[in-house]
Amino acid sequence: MTIDPKYFELIQADIDGEIDDAGKVDLENFLAESEEGRAVYEELETLCRSLDGLPTIDPPAHLRHVLLNQAPVRAAPQPAPDILQRLLSGPMLGYVGVFAAGVALTLALVDSDQISRGAFDDVTGLVGTIADPRFNAPEHGMISVDESEVAGTVTLRSTGPLLIVDFDLSARQPVEIVAGYSDRTIWFNGFAQLESTGTSIAAETGAVTLKMDGKRRYAVYLNNPGMRPTTINLKFRADERVIHEAQLSFSEGG
Amino acid sequence: MSEPDDTKLMERCNNGDRHAFELLLAKYEKPVFNAAYRMLNSPDDARDVTQTVFLKVYEHLDQYDPKYRFFSWIYRITLNESINWLKKTNRLDALVEDTADTAGGPEQEATNEQLSEGMQAALMTISPDYRAVIVLKHLLGCSYQEISEILEIPVKKVKSRLYTARQLLQETLIARGLH
Repeated sequence: MTIDPKYFELIQADIDGEIDDAGKVDLENFLAESEEGRAVYEELETLCRSLDGLPTIDPPAHLRHVLLNQAPVRAAPQPAPDILQRLLSGPMLGYVGVFAAGVALTLALVDSDQISRGAFDDVTGLVGTIADPRFNAPEHGMISVDESEVAGTVTLRSTGPLLIVDFDLSARQPVEIVAGYSDRTIWFNGFAQLESTGTSIAAETGAVTLKMDGKRRYAVYLNNPGMRPTTINLKFRADERVIHEAQLSFSEGG
Repeated sequence: MSEPDDTKLMERCNNGDRHAFELLLAKYEKPVFNAAYRMLNSPDDARDVTQTVFLKVYEHLDQYDPKYRFFSWIYRITLNESINWLKKTNRLDALVEDTADTAGGPEQEATNEQLSEGMQAALMTISPDYRAVIVLKHLLGCSYQEISEILEIPVKKVKSRLYTARQLLQETLIARGLH
C-alpha cells in the first residue's frame, strides 16, 4: 500500500506543530487506519527529536569582546553636547566612562610615585588621567591572547609623548600581567578602566604589574618624553606560571 | 519580550549607541555561532563567520528595513556567509568523504554522543540548502513562515525542502546504523 503524498505533508506539519484543525482530523483518521502511516510518523518524529536534541555549544569566551572591538565607532547624530557629554562620548573607547562613577569630575595626572611602593592597590579611586574628548590616538600594534585562562586583545596607541596600552581581556581566573619596558626614561603616567573595580595595579621603574579576573577593559598610560622607539614586553601569568608572552612596539610615526 | 525590542536596539545602534549593539550581540552571538557551526562543522570557521556576520550587521545598520524582523536579517546573513565560506574553502559539495562512520555498526546501540556526532556528520552529507532549513527549523526554532522569510522562498518550498532534507538525513543515519 502506498501513502497518499498529502499525508506525508500532514505528518510533517503535525510534528512541526504547523497543522491546522481540519488537517489534524484528517491525519488522525488516516493514522487510525494505516499501520504504514503510523510507522512513517514514528520514524519522522524520532528523527526530529534527535535533531531538536542536538547540543548547542558556547562560542569562545573572548569572541564577544573581539566583536565589540571590531565594530567601528559610529558617529551619533547629537545636538551640541555639554562638556560632560563630550567627555563621556570621547572616542577613546569609553575609558572616560569611569568618571561617571565619581561624584566630581576630576582631571588629575597620577604620578607614578603615588603607587610605586610595591604593594598592589585597588585602583577603584584612581580615576582621571588624560581623557581628552578630541583624542584620536593612532594605533601602533595589537596582539591577541587566546589562552584557556585569559583571552582578548592588547593594543598600543600613542598621542604625543603618551603611550596608551589598551587592555581588553576576559580572564577565567586571576591573571597577573606585567608590562615591562627597558627605557628608563619612560614613566607610569596613569590608569583608567571601564569597569569601576576589579583590577589592581602596581608600578615601578621599568614595569607596571596588573592583576585582574573576569572581563576587564582598562588602559595604562606611560609617558615617553623623548618619544623614542620602544618595546613593551607583556607577560601573562596564571597559577604562578607564564602562560603567554608578547611584545608591542612604538616607533614615532607609527 | 522583556528585553528591548530588536528594532529599537537597531535604532539605537544607528544613533551610535554601542551598548545597544552589545545587547544585540548578547542575544544573537550564540545562535549565530551555533548556526554557523552546524553549517560548517568547525568551531574555528564558525567563529570567523560569526565575526563577519556581526561586522556586516554593524556596517549595514542603515540598510536594515524595520518592516522585516531583525532575526530574519541576521540569520539570512549567517546562512549566506556560511555558504560563502563553504564556497571559499571549496566545501560546497556534500562532504560524503569526510563523514566516516561514527557508530560501531547497526548491531551496536549508539550513545547520545555518537548520535549527535553522527547527526552532524549526516548533516554535512546534504547540500547547504537542505542543511540551512534543518538548522533554521531545529536549531533556531523557526516556523515555516519565518524560514520562508529568511530564505526568501515560498512556504510550500520550505515544506518540500524540509521534507527532502529529513529523508536524506534519515537514509544516511539508517545506513550508518544510527536510526
